[in-house]
Amino acid sequence: MAQSALARSERINGWLFVMPALVLLGIFMVYPILWSLWMSFQVGRGMNFSFGGTANIMRLTQDPVFLRALSNTMLFLAMQVPIMLVLALFFANALNDSKLWGRGFFRTAIFLPCVTSLVAYSVIFKSIFAIDGIANQTLLVLHLIENPINWLSDPFWARVVVITAITWRWTGYNMIFYLAAMQNIDRSIYEAARIDGVPAWARFWFITVPLLKPVILFTSVISTIGTLQLFDEVNLLTQGGPSDATLTLSLYIYNLSFRFMPSFGYAATVSYVIVILVGILSLIQFIVAKDRRA
Amino acid sequence: MSSLKLRAVRKSYGNVEVIKGVNLDIKDKEFVVFVGPSGCGKSTLLRMIAGLEPITGGDLEIGGQRMNDVDPSKRGIAMVFQSYALYPHMTVRENMGFALRFARVPKEQIAKQVNAAARILALDPLLDRYPKELSGGQRQRVAIGRAIVRQPEVFLFDEPLSNLDAELRVHMRIEIARLHKELQTTIIYVTHDQVEAMTLAQTIVVLRDGIIEQVGRPLDLYDDPANQFVAGFIGSPKMNFMATSVVASGKGSVTLELTHQGKTAITLPLTGPLPAIGDKVTLGVRPEHFELAGSGIADIALDIDVAEHLGATSYIYANTASGEQIIVEREESRHELEQSGLSVAIPATKAYLFDAAGQRLR
Repeated sequence: MAQSALARSERINGWLFVMPALVLLGIFMVYPILWSLWMSFQVGRGMNFSFGGTANIMRLTQDPVFLRALSNTMLFLAMQVPIMLVLALFFANALNDSKLWGRGFFRTAIFLPCVTSLVAYSVIFKSIFAIDGIANQTLLVLHLIENPINWLSDPFWARVVVITAITWRWTGYNMIFYLAAMQNIDRSIYEAARIDGVPAWARFWFITVPLLKPVILFTSVISTIGTLQLFDEVNLLTQGGPSDATLTLSLYIYNLSFRFMPSFGYAATVSYVIVILVGILSLIQFIVAKDRRA
Repeated sequence: MSSLKLRAVRKSYGNVEVIKGVNLDIKDKEFVVFVGPSGCGKSTLLRMIAGLEPITGGDLEIGGQRMNDVDPSKRGIAMVFQSYALYPHMTVRENMGFALRFARVPKEQIAKQVNAAARILALDPLLDRYPKELSGGQRQRVAIGRAIVRQPEVFLFDEPLSNLDAELRVHMRIEIARLHKELQTTIIYVTHDQVEAMTLAQTIVVLRDGIIEQVGRPLDLYDDPANQFVAGFIGSPKMNFMATSVVASGKGSVTLELTHQGKTAITLPLTGPLPAIGDKVTLGVRPEHFELAGSGIADIALDIDVAEHLGATSYIYANTASGEQIIVEREESRHELEQSGLSVAIPATKAYLFDAAGQRLR
């Protein structure tokens, strides 16, 4: 009997301890998630809602702007994430060499972008890629182009600028994960490979990359999630233009809610598209990277 | 041919010199052990031979060719690391065959070589396992197998048994000795364990502070150490040292007075240069060489501190009147050791003498 009283008091105490956190999580996470799920079935403008069943989902399929935003987002994802992760891996590998001169400086320099102010770097990117910006001037001086490129008003080049901007910002962030993981690999493994005559490229490809697999999976999942939610850069650099060429799903949700006549229900539906995409893509990555010997 | 020649080999890190001019000849098919306390430079020297550390000065020749600037993979060597350094994501088979893929060895040939090495090391049933599924001893065998597969002329072992438990260490020691017999290649083996050195080596190289203290066959080092360091390092438990001073010297012998033993005088024959009267010298006697009181050249009285009974023998840790610790090994009946005092004799032929600088007086 004494034991059950003790167990009961422990149970009550336990709940008391986690209750504040649970209440906050409930109010600020669970409730909004459920609310947005309910919202995604509502139709109407502003504060006039009515239950619309699958009307919002039908609207998705016929909304050319949504389809544009979806294809843009997928394009950014397909182009940017692989480029960034491969770059990060190469930088990490180069900067892991203890004999490299000034590696502390390079590590800091490559990591710094992801802690700089978003607005400041967007302003600088805008000025670099202005018609008379330094990018055009450099290319003109080098005779790589004959006429200045209208970076931010040309659909193709606007996308290139956005991809460049996010890559510049997040490569260093991913590199840090790879560097940390590389420093956990026993150095004598590489020494053994060197003595055994395994060339440098093969040491990287057959030893470093497989041993980094869990970290590569982790970074690819968080980068995928980040890119699917891409909002800041496009909003600051191009506002989704020219003619929706850089419009992303997140920017479209923002536009639907705050820029156009508010359509909260439909915006919630688009949000759930992102959730589903994140779920599917992460699952695919886990399956692809699955340890076959487990 | 896989003899090695080291001539005035040096290694510095900035201003710190860790290998201070090593000269050494290693014969073809010889089993050489580098031994010394930690920090003596033995692993650094091995890594310089392997090519993992650049050589600051001097020459390294393997098989008659200067190898200072040759890539590690082209020196005809294979190395076994203390941490095994297996590729964790590859099976035992892949671990052993991995290097051969880059030497353009055909697949069937790789399989043949891997199987042959696996047979030598009894690894056949483990070929499809991953390193994490193996015990420490099995991993070490895989690491050795990976070295064998490359058919090197020289094997380098860097403290290969340090991570194993005592029983396994003895077992692997025998395996490595057997392997040397079977493969007939040159082996250079680094250890800090003098028992490993004594049991495995044909030649022991004793290092201290980046300098070779003595090179020789194990029993020669034991019987005839060149200095006090080697005398203390080789042999277990270590040799006892007693402070003495010279009271008479001449006609091929010295008479010493044990500084802390009252006026006990002992006379030892010497063939080399004699120390002068008044010189401080050190007398060394191995624990196993003390004789029964009255039968040697002088008796010393000891207070027994602790006795360790190992069955066949006992080690008696005792103190002289002045507090110098002396270890005596005894094989006689045990109850005799349960007394508090003990008198032992210094043997006439097995007492060693070292000058103030630690050099042997013969």
